Amino acid sequence: MTVRESIENKDIALIDILDVILDKGVAIKGDLIISIAGVDLVYLDLRVLISSVETLVQHKQGTRKTVTSDQFDKEREGLIHATGQRDKWAN
Amino acid sequence: MSDLLYLYGLIPTKEANEKALPSMKGFDGEGELYTIEIGDVTAIVCDLPPNEYSEETIKDKVDNDMDWLQEKAFHHHETVLMVSKLYTIIPLKFCTLYKNEDSLKSTIEGNRNKLETTFTQLDGNEEWNVKIYCDDKLLKKQVSESNPSIEAKRKEISELPKGRQFFEKKKIDQLIDRELENEKNRLCEEVHEKLKEHSLHGNIKKNWSKDVTGRQEHMAWNSVFLLPVSNVDEFVEEIKQYEEELGHAGWKIEASGPWPPYHFSSFS
Repeated sequence: MTVRESIENKDIALIDILDVILDKGVAIKGDLIISIAGVDLVYLDLRVLISSVETLVQHKQGTRKTVTSDQFDKEREGLIHATGQRDKWAN
Repeated sequence: MSDLLYLYGLIPTKEANEKALPSMKGFDGEGELYTIEIGDVTAIVCDLPPNEYSEETIKDKVDNDMDWLQEKAFHHHETVLMVSKLYTIIPLKFCTLYKNEDSLKSTIEGNRNKLETTFTQLDGNEEWNVKIYCDDKLLKKQVSESNPSIEAKRKEISELPKGRQFFEKKKIDQLIDRELENEKNRLCEEVHEKLKEHSLHGNIKKNWSKDVTGRQEHMAWNSVFLLPVSNVDEFVEEIKQYEEELGHAGWKIEASGPWPPYHFSSFS
């Protein structure tokens, strides 16, 4: 298989597709996503969509929430620890 | 109220007459794709019921229904890709809808010259995408150890009193970050210029954050090229060589393609 064939047969990630079909590069004005209607184009803010994609990725990964709550627990432990120190000073 | 038209792409009527469009399902999974001849240009479309699809409902779906976005983005991509394998195509972006056939026709007629030039430009060429990723940690280490201005700064700091060293070290971290960005851009620009030699056009696009790509490495470069088909082999070979040369230093250079020429056929 040539290099070219192996690239052509590779699976494409959703992000690669969105990167191409949502953002036409040259035409990018920061807000070029959905065009609807007769002759008039209606724009949707690109930032809205990017945040949607970010939510999608987080949703797909699934583990992100767990990590966050772990970090949260750690921080809480740190706080309790710090409070303990303060109590010692108060005594 | 008449149906809305979802426009996937435009092809030359001459090519449309030589080969019939194969049967393909439309955007809602029910209707079929069909063609509308508008002079020299033929539009590939499907019907969508206007009570289900409007600017508001699509916006709402894109914002709130990720599964829908994924399914429909894949549908759009697969359909356009399929058509692009059969004809010279000017692909339209995701969710390009027209109110009716008349509005589509008047848009096409108003852009007749532009469309014709675009078809000529695209004939015999392919769109390829190149993304460069890098391991920031590894690169940072290299920059920190081999950059002369950082080395000099470090020496200067070691001669300072202890208290001041702390704040100066913070500054050096910022300097390393800046040098890292410079180094990344320098290398990416070098690769880009070299790859551009094989192409007709090369454009630089926005980088995506790690949250969006879901990868360990940072995206350092995102670019798109229009290449004569005969240059594609040497183009991907060049990328492979860069990959071998730079891979151990934390770089990944990835090509994908051929894509329907989304970036080189804008007419609206």
